[in-house]
Order: sequence, then C-alpha cells, then structure tokens
Amino acid sequence: MELAGLLNYALFMGIFIGIYALLALGLNIQWGFAGLFNAGIAGFFAVGAYTSAIVTTAAAEGRIGGFDMPLLLGWLAAMVAAGLIAWPIGKICLRFRSDYLAIATIGVAEIIRLVVKSEPELTNGARGITAIPRPFGDLDYALSQMAYLAIVAVVLLVAYLMVERQFNAPWGRMMRAIRDNELAARAMGKAIERRRLEAFIFGAALMGLGGALFAHFNRSITPEAIDPMVATFLVWIMLILGGSGNNRGAILGTAVVWIIWSMSEIATDQLPSEYAVKAKYIRLFLIGLMLQLVLRFRPDGLLPEPLRGAARSDQDAR
Amino acid sequence: MDMLELLNFYIIPGLVLGSIYALGAIGITLIYAILRYSHLAHGDLATLGAFIALALVQAGAPLLVALPATMALTALIAIGIDKGFYAHLRDRPKIITVMSSLGIALMIRAVVQVVWGVDAETYSRGIVRPEVYWGLRIKDRELWTLAFLIAAVVVLQLFLARSKWGKAMRAMSDNPNLALLSGIDNRKVIMLTWIIAGGLCAASGVFLGLNTELKSMMGWGMLLPMFAAAVLGGVGRVEGAVLGGLIVGLAEELSVLVLPGEYKAAMAFAILLFMLLVRPTGLLRGKVL
Amino acid sequence: MKTKALALVGGLMAATALAAAPAKADVKIGLLGGVSGPIAAMAPAMIDAAQLAFAQVNEQGGILAGEKLVGVVGDSACSPQGGTDAATKAVNIEGVVAVVGPHCSGAVLAAAGSVTVPAGIAMVTPSGTSPEISGLDDKDTVFRTVPSDDYQGRALARTLKEQGYAKVAVAYLNNDYGTGLANAFKAEFEAQGGEVAGFAAHEADKASYRSNLADLSSGGADTLVIFDYGDGTGLTILRQALENGFFEKFVGGDGMKSDALFKELGSDNLTTFVASSPVGEKSDALDVFNEAFKAAGGDPDAIFVNTSYDAAFLLALAVEKAGGDKAGVAAALREVSNGEGEAILPGEWAKAKALIAEGKAIDYKGAAGDHNFDANGDVPGTYALFKIEGDAFTVVSEMK
Repeated sequence: MELAGLLNYALFMGIFIGIYALLALGLNIQWGFAGLFNAGIAGFFAVGAYTSAIVTTAAAEGRIGGFDMPLLLGWLAAMVAAGLIAWPIGKICLRFRSDYLAIATIGVAEIIRLVVKSEPELTNGARGITAIPRPFGDLDYALSQMAYLAIVAVVLLVAYLMVERQFNAPWGRMMRAIRDNELAARAMGKAIERRRLEAFIFGAALMGLGGALFAHFNRSITPEAIDPMVATFLVWIMLILGGSGNNRGAILGTAVVWIIWSMSEIATDQLPSEYAVKAKYIRLFLIGLMLQLVLRFRPDGLLPEPLRGAARSDQDAR
Repeated sequence: MDMLELLNFYIIPGLVLGSIYALGAIGITLIYAILRYSHLAHGDLATLGAFIALALVQAGAPLLVALPATMALTALIAIGIDKGFYAHLRDRPKIITVMSSLGIALMIRAVVQVVWGVDAETYSRGIVRPEVYWGLRIKDRELWTLAFLIAAVVVLQLFLARSKWGKAMRAMSDNPNLALLSGIDNRKVIMLTWIIAGGLCAASGVFLGLNTELKSMMGWGMLLPMFAAAVLGGVGRVEGAVLGGLIVGLAEELSVLVLPGEYKAAMAFAILLFMLLVRPTGLLRGKVL
Repeated sequence: MKTKALALVGGLMAATALAAAPAKADVKIGLLGGVSGPIAAMAPAMIDAAQLAFAQVNEQGGILAGEKLVGVVGDSACSPQGGTDAATKAVNIEGVVAVVGPHCSGAVLAAAGSVTVPAGIAMVTPSGTSPEISGLDDKDTVFRTVPSDDYQGRALARTLKEQGYAKVAVAYLNNDYGTGLANAFKAEFEAQGGEVAGFAAHEADKASYRSNLADLSSGGADTLVIFDYGDGTGLTILRQALENGFFEKFVGGDGMKSDALFKELGSDNLTTFVASSPVGEKSDALDVFNEAFKAAGGDPDAIFVNTSYDAAFLLALAVEKAGGDKAGVAAALREVSNGEGEAILPGEWAKAKALIAEGKAIDYKGAAGDHNFDANGDVPGTYALFKIEGDAFTVVSEMK
C-alpha cells in the first residue's frame, strides 16, 4: 500500500462520515433535543436522495424528470421534499409517545421503500437512478474526492453551526424543557405540538440533505441503499454512541462507528485466507461486540449532553 | 372466487403465518411490558432457535423432542444474553438497551452464519402435500403450528392468572414501583420473562422453518411484522399479541386480492398506522406509552 | 474511558497497518461480494469459484513473473454503502489491479461511480444484471460476464413458445434482477403469440406466498415462470406451489438453477421443472469448469458460480496480458476475449500464459459463454435449458 492509497481511503471515510453525520445531526434534533423516536430515517434519506436525483439528472425515459437543474437546487429540493413528507407524518404521529412513534415511522419508511422499489414511473423502480452529476466529478480520483469532501465538510459545518445556534437560542431551551417535563412546559403555555413538529421537520430536512449528498457522491441511487439496517439503525447507533443531545457527540459518534464498521473488515482479513468468507461474519460479530462494550462503559455516549443552567451550577458547586 | 378457495389459499395460510408472528409477538410484548424496551434481537433469536432445532434433528432427534429442547436451550441463551449484556444497562435510559439489542442481533446472526453456514436448509427433505378435510387443504405441520399456538396461549394465560409468579409478572408490568415495594423479586420476574419470551421465540423460528426453509436472515425479515403485531394487539397483552399476529398474517395474505403483490409487506404497517390513529392503545387495551 | 475508545480505534489502525504490509510479490484482485445481507446464501459459492480460478493460476506457474495471484475478499453487503466501502479498501488499501464483483447491481453502480471508474480500475461483475450498468459512463472499465436480463428473458420466451408452452404465469422478485427478466420475458412471449395469464412481483423473505400463487393461478395458466433465486424466496415459492398443486410445469431463470432445489425439495418432485442458464458455445467449457469446481470441493450447480469463475479467470488473463499495469487491464480484457486467436478453455492457464508470452492472440471461451464484450462491456450470452435428473442439472436443449 502506498501513502496515496491511504489518503484516498481517508478521504472516502471523511466523505462518508460527513454524510452520515448529517443524518445523525438530524436525528439529534429529533431525539436528542425533542425526544422524538424517529425510527424511519431511511424514509427521509430516500426522499432526499431520489428528489435530488430526479431534479438534477438529465431527462430520462420512463420516469418523471430528470429536470437537469443545478445541483444546489436539487439539494434544496431534497430538504424541502423530506420536510414536506415529514409534515403530515409528524402532524399525525407526533401525538403518540416515543415508542409508538417509532413503530409508526418504521412503517412509513417501509412503505416509502416499497413505493421507491415498485413504481418505475416515479423512481425507475428497482433499477434505481444513475448518471447523477457529481460536483467536480471530472477531476482525478483523489482530487475529486478532496473536492467532494470539502463540499460535504462545508455543508456539515453550516448545518452544525445552525443547529448549535438554535439549541442555545430560546427555541432550544424550550425544546429541552418540553422533552424533560412536558407537563411543566405546557403549564407555562408553550405550544408543544407545534415545537415538536418543527423539530421533526427540521431533522427530516437534514436527513433528506444527507440522502442527496449520498446519491451525488455515488452518482447513483438504488433501493438497496435505503435498507433499514444501513440507513436507520446504523444512524441510531452513531447518535447513541456519540452522545444524544450533543451535536459534537453526534458527529464524533458517526466517525467512531463508521471507523469501526469499515476498519473491522481490515482487522478480520488478518485471518487465514481459507476463512476469508467466514471472516466477514466474524466481523459483524465484532461490530456487535464493540457496540456492547461502548454501551457498557460509556452509556451516556462518548460526549454526553452538556449540562446547562441550573444543572451545571449544581455540578460546579460540588 | 368461491369460499373454499378463499379459505384454502388466503385464510389458512394467513392463520398459519399469523400464528408464527404471534409466537414472536408474545415475547416482544412481554419484554416490553416488564422490561420496557423494544427487543430488536428477537428475530435473530428466532433464527438461532430454528437452527438449534435443525442441529438436534440432524443428530437424530424427532422434531417433537427437538422442539421443547430447543425452547429450553434458547430460553437459557436468552437469560445469558440478558445477564451478560442487558442487565448492566437496566438503570440507564431504555434507548441504550434498544441499541444494545441491535448489536446482539448482529452477533447472533454472525454465530448462526459461522456455525451453520448460509445455505437454505430444511428439517426434512422433500415436499408434503396437504391432506383434504371436507374440501379444506391443510398440512399436518400447519395444524401443529396452530395447535401449538393455542396450547401456548392457554398455558401462559393460566400461568399469568393463577400462579404466584404469573401474578408477580403482571404486577411488575402494571406498576413496577409498587411491585418492588410489595416484595416481588425483580430478578426472578425478569428471568421468568426471558424464559417465556426466549422459548416462544424459538418456537416461532422452528415453525417458520418447518413451514418454509431455514435461512440465516429468516428472523430479521420477521422482526417488523412481529413488532407490528405486538403493538396492534396492545402492548403487554398476551392475547392481544396473538390477535395482532393473526390479523397481520391474514392481512398480508389477503392484501394480494386488492394490492399488487410487491406491497404485501406494507400491509402490516398500513393496518398498524390506521390502528394507531383510531385506537392508540391497541385492539385490546394495552399500555399507553 | 476516552482512552479506551482511543485504544480501540488505535488497535484497529494498527491492524490496518499490519494488513498493509503484504508479501511483496503478490498480485491482488479484489473479490467483492454480498457476503452479508440479502444474498448471503449465494455469495460464498461465487467467491469460491473465483478463488478456484486464482488457485489454477498459481498452480500453473503463477501470474506475470511467477508471482502469486491473490483474491482479496471484501464484503459489499449488497448495498451501495457496503459496495463503495469494500471497493475503496480493495483499491486503496490492498492495491488490487482489478475487481471481480460486486454481486448486486446497486453496489456495482455505486462502487463504479465513486471508486473504480475514477480510479481507473477494471471491474467485472458476475451477477449485476441491471440494464443501468450498460449505460454507465465508465471510461470502458466496467464489464460483466453475466448476460443482461433482457437477452435471457427474450431467449427464454422464444424457447418456451417453441416447445409448446402457450399460457404461463410469471412470478418475479421485486428487485432489478427479477423485474428486468420478467419484463423482457413478457414482452417477447406476448410478441410470439403466447399468453401471460398472471404477472406479479413479490417481496423477498416472506413466510408465505400461497395467496400470491392463488392469485397468479386464477388466470388459468398451467405453467409458472419464476424469476427469483433458487436458494432464497424462489425456493419457498416453488415449494408452496408444488405442495398446493398450483401449477403443473415450472420454469426458472438462471437464478433458479440452484442445487438447493433438489437438495431440499427432492428431484422426484421436480420432473416438470426446467431452468435457463448461460453456457459456453463450446459446451465442453462448462464441463471442464464443473469438473474442476467439483474437485475443489465446490458445487457447480450453485447460482452464478460459472460467471464468477469466468470473471476471475478473464481478469487474470487480462492482467497477464497487460503486464500487470492497472491502467491497461480493461483494454487487455477485450483483447483476451474478443473472439480472435487461439481458444483458451477454463483452467488452461499455462497454455494461455505461454501464448501471451509469445505475443500471440488468445480468446477465452468461458464456462458461462464466450464473453465477447460489446461496446458497453456486456456479453450477448448463450443459453441452454436445464432439467433436473438425479441430483444434477442436465442440458435439455440449446436456446436461441
């Protein structure tokens, strides 16, 4: 292996971590700050990815679009579409408490997945959409990866700063108040349903953006990408492991989980070659085991939610 | 379409499928009621059960012996998993345990794939054509599946209603603080929960394998319908889980009459969403979460 | 605690560094497959078949200047996420000269789009059947040894019509493989004057398909055409159709030509079952491969093993031809397979190596076809209809 190879691998990981970090940030708005158990991340991811693909690709036969629009418009459309889908779902489902919301969103995501797979007029069905433009895609391998990483990093930074700002603003304090004590918040006259819906839609929009970035990175999007394991549960692991309620934790968790996920394969490849296939099963075992270890020893996440206000002064006094 | 055809090709398969879902859903609903988290490793635990039974059958045991042995073994494994991994997380937010169970699902699947490989297997080679009773086409194994479900539910209900420990379980489910104050041994109740959930989970895997084939991903594919069944019936209600399972099974089979076949999997969720809208506590009043 | 997490990551990094120091002389080809995920049952045999090709190369003098050819297995998990991850590691960490796989079309499209095409690495998929792969802007680096669905579906329709099947129902898996085959089959069968009296997709891994079957059979067809995988949902459907007496005759695509059928259902029950599968024009090429794979402990009736073997052997030939130059592998791939030159059968590595050294043209005649790649990197494919006899598949007739 050469240094260039290692660099390319690192670039790839950076891009992937950036994309998944957007999903984790979106989930953090919903779960970490508003306490909404969204187990249908894959659905919003799919809506975003397919919307941007349809908006930005050249006209194709047999499905709606493509509209050959500029990239930024595609990404904007992805966020809007994911938010629009989230709106009625939130409107209907947010009155369920945590676990019912989870099963409801799983259901919605599964239905979205089946529609994506089965309606060729809309999404080209099981074949997926290809020839999605990738910004700076014509550059050399390493250069184009660097350019894409830069884009993802900028998008992530902007998203992070905006979310962080909101959290420290009155809006964020209100969200936490609602999450921690709904009754008290309601008694203080807060519009709980409305605030929850806002959090749900903002989170979903970020997930849609993540989906769009993913589709453009691979220049293709197929229904296999929106499997619940890789597009929903993996994001949950990232957030919980990183520390829900903490935006930096969400990003760090994404990085750690993806590094474990990807590098564990290199580790298990050390087994003799006659176990080459079995090594892949062992890898999944190791991933599961590492998750157990982190949860056992860092149950609040790598970076727990920062204590604020009274709780902090309480701790300082001690 | 005449009545017999509807019964033979839609209702009976739906009931059999529903029984398999129900067996898994009972465990999910009990774990939910007593331990208060969603156990995402339930599907893969069922896979493990099915393959343990396969090992026993291949070693020469008749299925009738292998089934109870498998249930006992899987129950032990479930207790082991709880002691090894979930017990430490009991005082933490429940979401931590949910994530942990997801990791356990990956680990169990990996064990199955390493030990038994990934080829499709069956308990016995060849095919079994159904017997015809008054025009109804039913296979023995389908009768066994239904009979087992009925027996399991009756025994379980009697246990919960009459026995000391069954009452303790119900108390834990209704009000854990009160139950602890009144001197119920938390650990024993939890262990009992895992014995029941693990055993029935293994049974659902075995019956799924008996009615189709054994594959390393078979349980994972059942997880979402089983959850739908548990919620549909009302969380914490055993008979609700059974009802939910049967409804989900029937709905999936009957959906082919009105929807394209590829949307079969969506049926369970469509019903569930509808149910949550009109009656959020489930069919039989379960917990309000 | 943080130190623990760091130690964990550090350990992984160290393992990576170890992995990164291979024995110098090895030439590596990536074998990316869906080891975990929905096609977990198919992947191991496909990878074994590809490894057989490499073993033959190593037995017969190795590659280039006697170096060892190593297959680096990567788990593409049948998803774009897994496909790009595995391809990135293979290309950058392992430094492979070419890639066999990934197995699923979605993973192929993503891995090609973000890794192998930009990196200029040749990729041959043995089972990615999506028509989208033909249209990829791939700088001529993406190939496949499995013929496109469209071709097989049409050939199967014509053959069935000729053999007197008049009214059929079609059950197909709702993914790119099933959909592609089913649509092509339906169009051609109807164009030939046949009747498709039932046409429905199904999702994988449900426990019961009896209602689907009842629905399909209500059109009155006596033959069921199944486009699915014989060690997955296809097996369940075939079992439930047989057990409930839904259809009399059964036809499958290449995905149904699986040993799981007679192993689990018993060959006595499958007398009316036929399946199409790609074969070489020189039919002995398939036999040669079957013998060799059996001798190596593999099962030649597993799905897509012959295309996997061909992909691996072709890439080995191309690497030899290109003198180990990564950038030249794709072009060399066309040279060793384009139909001009001395015929090379599966396993004839020493002969091919000698001919390449002399600068003579060679033409690989594979187990799954002659593999004369067209402009898109696709192969036309030649098919035969197989039936089950004893516990093996035998050829009934050629298909045109």
